[in-house]
Amino acid sequence: MSTPPPPINQPSSSPTPFSFPPEYSFPPFFTRQTNLTTHHAQLIKWASLVLSYCRYHRIFKLSLSGNGTTTTSERDTTELFFNRKINRRLSLPDIREVIDFLRKDNRAEYVTSSSSFSSTNTSATGMDGTPAAAGGGGGGDIVWIYWRTPEEWAALVESWVDATGQRGSVLTVYELVEGDGTRGTEFHGLDQELLLKALNVLVKRGKAQVFGQEDSLGVKFF
Amino acid sequence: MFLKHIDLTTALRPAYLPDEDLLFVQDNVGLYEGKYKLPNHQNGQVYLTSHRICYVDKAEPRKYSVALDLKDVERFEFYGGFLKSSAKITLVPKSTKRVSLQPRSPGLAASPSRSSTSSPAQHQDGPPRVSPVKPPPTSTATWVCTICSFSNPVPSNFDPTTATVHTPLAPCLACGIKPTLTHVLKATISNAASRQPGSPALQSPLPVRPRPATDVSLGPDQTRDPSPRNSDPDASFQCPRCTFLNHPSLLSCEMCGGPLISHDLPAELAPQARTHTESPGPVLNALSPVPFRIESPDSIKLSFRGGGEKIFYERLKSSMSQRKWLLQSAPPIPKASRPTSDAHLNSPTTTGPVTTSSTSTAVVRPKLGGIAGLEHHSQAMRKNNELVIGTAFEDLEALMASAKEIVALAETFARQVKGASGTSTASENALLADSLSQLGLIATKDIVGSSSSAGGSDSLYLSELSRTLAEFLTDDRRGVLKKAGGIMSLVDLWAVFNRARGGVELVSPADFDKAAQLWEKLGLPVRLRTFKSGVKVVQSQDRTDETTMKALLGWLRDLHKSPPEREVPWDWSRFGRGVTARDAAERFGWSIGVAEEELEMAEERGILCREEGIEGLKFWENFIDTGEGKGYKAPPTEPDIIEVLTEAGFL
Repeated sequence: MSTPPPPINQPSSSPTPFSFPPEYSFPPFFTRQTNLTTHHAQLIKWASLVLSYCRYHRIFKLSLSGNGTTTTSERDTTELFFNRKINRRLSLPDIREVIDFLRKDNRAEYVTSSSSFSSTNTSATGMDGTPAAAGGGGGGDIVWIYWRTPEEWAALVESWVDATGQRGSVLTVYELVEGDGTRGTEFHGLDQELLLKALNVLVKRGKAQVFGQEDSLGVKFF
Repeated sequence: MFLKHIDLTTALRPAYLPDEDLLFVQDNVGLYEGKYKLPNHQNGQVYLTSHRICYVDKAEPRKYSVALDLKDVERFEFYGGFLKSSAKITLVPKSTKRVSLQPRSPGLAASPSRSSTSSPAQHQDGPPRVSPVKPPPTSTATWVCTICSFSNPVPSNFDPTTATVHTPLAPCLACGIKPTLTHVLKATISNAASRQPGSPALQSPLPVRPRPATDVSLGPDQTRDPSPRNSDPDASFQCPRCTFLNHPSLLSCEMCGGPLISHDLPAELAPQARTHTESPGPVLNALSPVPFRIESPDSIKLSFRGGGEKIFYERLKSSMSQRKWLLQSAPPIPKASRPTSDAHLNSPTTTGPVTTSSTSTAVVRPKLGGIAGLEHHSQAMRKNNELVIGTAFEDLEALMASAKEIVALAETFARQVKGASGTSTASENALLADSLSQLGLIATKDIVGSSSSAGGSDSLYLSELSRTLAEFLTDDRRGVLKKAGGIMSLVDLWAVFNRARGGVELVSPADFDKAAQLWEKLGLPVRLRTFKSGVKVVQSQDRTDETTMKALLGWLRDLHKSPPEREVPWDWSRFGRGVTARDAAERFGWSIGVAEEELEMAEERGILCREEGIEGLKFWENFIDTGEGKGYKAPPTEPDIIEVLTEAGFL
């Protein structure tokens, strides 16, 4: 994992629109390439486009069918896979291929109906590119886009805790996400579920402990 | 020496003269000049045509390919081969200075001989080189003096067959004591029997058989009276099996039918060593520096190591009796009409009377002059045309009326050609050869020889077919490839090719495919390419994927410069536009199938990418795989695609 690029701490409703790469207006970019080398390059370009798009708009969960996201911002992400200008759309199986490509790199993960995801389920739906089972309640359709992986988020949180000298103190998860104290940090406004994933990383390392109920989760850093 | 260097076609086959027809092809043939192998001419294909015999070397066809004109051939002989000695056909050139007085068979020359070791097989082998100017090579036999053990040469005029007690014998050169007749006789005979190189002392058809090389090397000083050499008519050859004394010209025993062995054979089996020890220079160099050795016109032998000699012999016989080369100077009209009309005399489906009149007019015509002559000429022309047209329609009607009859007719033709029954086949042969040459393509299964090795005949046929195909493709007059934009699918070619054959001797798809596969192996100027879809195409050797891609890319680049006909939403000056297989086919003159394959090939090579849309499959210049870094986590901020392309060598 390379270190994340410098924080682009922009508000979600940025006045300057996301600048798409040149390939975005290249019609064949939206067709699955049969040549393996070209296909690989295509996947790389799409993956990087998805990541930078999500980072730009601070999208943590992406809906593949393009019905908006479940993140805090109710942004319409259809434009990511659908270039209206040239009227080209990346088909859903192809999108899944891109997501699978990201998943292999731990940059994406299917969101399962319960927060405790099962990897077998996701891989089954993802690999063959078929639409996810409908019973999952969106499982297989909503994807975590880790433009920063949980580990990276964890590192960010940890360094912030260190920097602010709050080691040993107890913070609520809400505080971390919405509190004034974290304003200005990258994880401010982070999806709660994602933050929990990050905190779980810290818990596993023995650097933190999460306790409390669903609504009032607290975390103590060591 | 009557071998001439010949020109080869692009497909490494002999370039035929006008009117020349290919009659037979046989591979794995070696050439002998006289008794000796010709260096560098030991493995090649022999093409028998109506005019020539061409040898095309396998290893270095351009360098060592030779031909000899049949018109220079005095006669030819057949030797069936024995044990390891391959079957051979000997071609004796016409002596330019005088006609050989030497009898053909040694058995015909009268001179008593008691030799029982004379070899009838020799008769196949040697006589051509017997030339009146050259006395046969002399004896180097020696007798050892009983007194002083000095080895004396047997006197040149000593003839064991005629020698009596009264024959004067030279005394020993060392001690001066006269030898006894029996002693000298024994020495001569044993010498002859052991057949030491260059010591054909015995007066039998076998050892005395002159060989050109020995002639050259030994020189005239060792001359010897040639008269006794030619054996008497009573000369007999003992059958090794039943000991019956056969006439020397017989090939097999009259009593038991066993083959009569030539004593010459041991020499045949090791001819190469001999070549170098006995006459290294003359034979080797005779080819290039001395193209014409009129004095001793050497016979040329074709050694058929791969079989096929019998058919070759038959066809050679018929073409020698046809003497087609004589027709070259004949006036065109009689020439055209004669074979046809003659054929009609013998063919069951034709009428007789016209024939005689047309031939007679042809003969009479030159005698007339003035207006009468012109009238006569035009009348003859009309008659001739009438005949040609008439027979053409007749054939058609006959075909429609009864296909059976036509088949029977064709069979008789085939039989006559194959059987070479001798009488009146010449005209049929001519007709058949004519019709073949009209097809322009004459490598048929019938023509190529059979090889004794397993599957050999097939491979020869295929390689001939392969060459024929290559010629067909590269023939500028037809321009088959050019018309198809330099590339055409194998199936198309197969159809065109068989059509050009006019429905005769059609090539089966399997053979066609195999023949096409051979192009590369034979080094022919056309190339078979298989696209990844399995479609096979034919193109000339110089046209590679690279040139195709270059052409495609150049075309796509041009599209950046000119705006598309319709408004397009993308930046056309940057990306150009997509092209369909149809566009490419129109642009390059390809067939659509080929265009598809070429585009996909270019895509496979990564210079194009595809777009599947409502307008069908389009191909674009590849701006997706621009060759920049593989890691997407740090995407190039503003990749100058053109620059990257340039670096990658695409621009």
